Amino acid sequence: MPENKYILETKKLDKFFRDPVDFQALKNVNIAIKRGEFVSIIGSSGSGKSTLLYVLSTLDTDYDGQIFFDGDDLSKKTKNELADIRNAKIGFVFQFHYLLPEFTVIDNVMLPALKLGKYSEPEIRKRAQEKLAMLGLEDQAEKKANKLSGGQQQRAAIARALINDPDIIFGDEPTGNLDSKNAQNAFDIFKELKTKYNQTILIVTHDMNLAAQTDRSIRLHDGEVVI
Amino acid sequence: MSFFTGPVFRIAMTHLISKKRQTIVAMLGVTFGIAIFIFQAGLMSGFQTTFIEETINTTANVRIYNDVQEARKSILQLNSSDSKAWFLIHNQKPKDEDPQVKNGKQILEIVEKDPRISGVSPFIGTQALFRLGLSQASGRASGVNIERENAIFDVGKHMKEGNLLDLETVPDGIILGEGLAMKLGAKLNDNMTIVSPKGVTLDMRIIGIHKTGITELDNTRAFISIRNAQKLLGVDGSYITDINIKLKNIDQAESIAKEYHDKFGYKAQDWKSANESIFGIFKIQNMITYLIIFSILIVSGFGIFNILMMIIYEKMPDIAILKATGFKDKDIKILFLTESLVIGIFGGLLGLFVGFLMQKIVGGIKMDLRGFVSMEHLKFNSSPAFYVFAYCFGLVATALAGYIPARKAAKVDAIDILRSK
Repeated sequence: MPENKYILETKKLDKFFRDPVDFQALKNVNIAIKRGEFVSIIGSSGSGKSTLLYVLSTLDTDYDGQIFFDGDDLSKKTKNELADIRNAKIGFVFQFHYLLPEFTVIDNVMLPALKLGKYSEPEIRKRAQEKLAMLGLEDQAEKKANKLSGGQQQRAAIARALINDPDIIFGDEPTGNLDSKNAQNAFDIFKELKTKYNQTILIVTHDMNLAAQTDRSIRLHDGEVVI
Repeated sequence: MSFFTGPVFRIAMTHLISKKRQTIVAMLGVTFGIAIFIFQAGLMSGFQTTFIEETINTTANVRIYNDVQEARKSILQLNSSDSKAWFLIHNQKPKDEDPQVKNGKQILEIVEKDPRISGVSPFIGTQALFRLGLSQASGRASGVNIERENAIFDVGKHMKEGNLLDLETVPDGIILGEGLAMKLGAKLNDNMTIVSPKGVTLDMRIIGIHKTGITELDNTRAFISIRNAQKLLGVDGSYITDINIKLKNIDQAESIAKEYHDKFGYKAQDWKSANESIFGIFKIQNMITYLIIFSILIVSGFGIFNILMMIIYEKMPDIAILKATGFKDKDIKILFLTESLVIGIFGGLLGLFVGFLMQKIVGGIKMDLRGFVSMEHLKFNSSPAFYVFAYCFGLVATALAGYIPARKAAKVDAIDILRSK
């Protein structure tokens, strides 16, 4: 089966908020992300960049128009099918790390893979160790997640996003909660993932300095794409 | 991958373990509810079973007797052919009628041949005054054939002192109820007298003390031989007042009583109608007990509900990230249902144990209870049915209490929480 050139493609994407007042958050968004691209979505606050990310990442299903993920029309999928897609093909990195505090770092990384159930548990553990090693966290694996520093926690979250070898990683201000040194550090990891492993990455950021380091930027203004 | 090695179960257990204190409090709620359930239900049922057993043991399944108090029609009425006529008879008194069951011997023989009957005992009951020196007490003298009586009522089981069968061999023997003996200050082998309402006095020797546990009986009843009872009443050797019958199946009592009433013309009363008022009380008692138990379980249900709600509010970010990484709404619901069921299962098991322990400990305390019945220990019905029922009920309560928070957790909107601010 020939792989689609675009991992993600939208056609006439609109989104409305009804509450508290009618408000169009996305207007006729037509974008396409190629495999292996590192793309940033930028724009002022309220421009709809996070909204776009959540619609693209299947978490938000309340939109008009079409989204094609690897050629599949997402608007035709049920909630459970979307959950399976997120589990197998999508990695998330958020502004905050959202590691489960009572679990060890490696358990946190393993959880999505345990849910997927593609590999046996020892195998998943081995893979998790590899991901952690890739991010320089191999000696933190058995620590409780809440014992790590902010930068380490965000790197652990990236490891978690990578565990199921996703087709794409979505980042919502993934460096927004880090100091500039750690932010650059985390960003370097993304760049390395792209160059070394040809990982497709789509991030929302308001940091122009970082956005400039991506392959290209999609600029949103009042819900519309402006080049 | 089975559920118990899967991630949902693992997260559920981790939540419970990391919130040790809340988990234990919620579990104790269930434990308490189920323990009280078992304790209360066992106590109530134990008391009632004891009472019913004693009552059945001291009431005939069916008793045939001559009810002289029954209103009877006047001779005038019986002989009138005019059905529309009015009769006014002032101050009609009961005839001086003997409560004798005539043809008692024949009835006895007929009843004995009935295959549904396991025992028959003739009986003469009369009021009497019991005297020992200066002390005296009134009560009822029961003239019985002690062997037959024992076959029906298991009298021997309740003998405190003396030998039951001496009543047949000692010509002037009497067995006193414990309370009656106490009132008289009588001891075994003392001599005493009985005076009948007709003024006949008999000298007797106490050959036994008897205690059924039913206070009313123990305070008033004395057994004597049929021969002596007949002497006391100044009647001939065929005179009896009651025929007590024991059935093979006590549930047939009602229909057999009716049959005998029609057959012999005497009143035949079954044990249920003889003790109707008591069973009525039991019904209300049971209702109250189960209401109390039910409210306790509701309270422990609310405990679980509360604690799960707390866990869910605290774990909102966890729920959101789990959903983002591919856990379905159903998984989240199962996660929190699992938590409540684990609380229910372990809290419940502990409750069964604590309930059992409470029964053993309280049942072992020696106490002198006197009232309706007198017992030396509280008696518990520790039937497995109560344990099974309590446990199932506890699990249902915890599942219900867990379901609402679990559904709420499943509905959490991940974007609201995850979205960058």
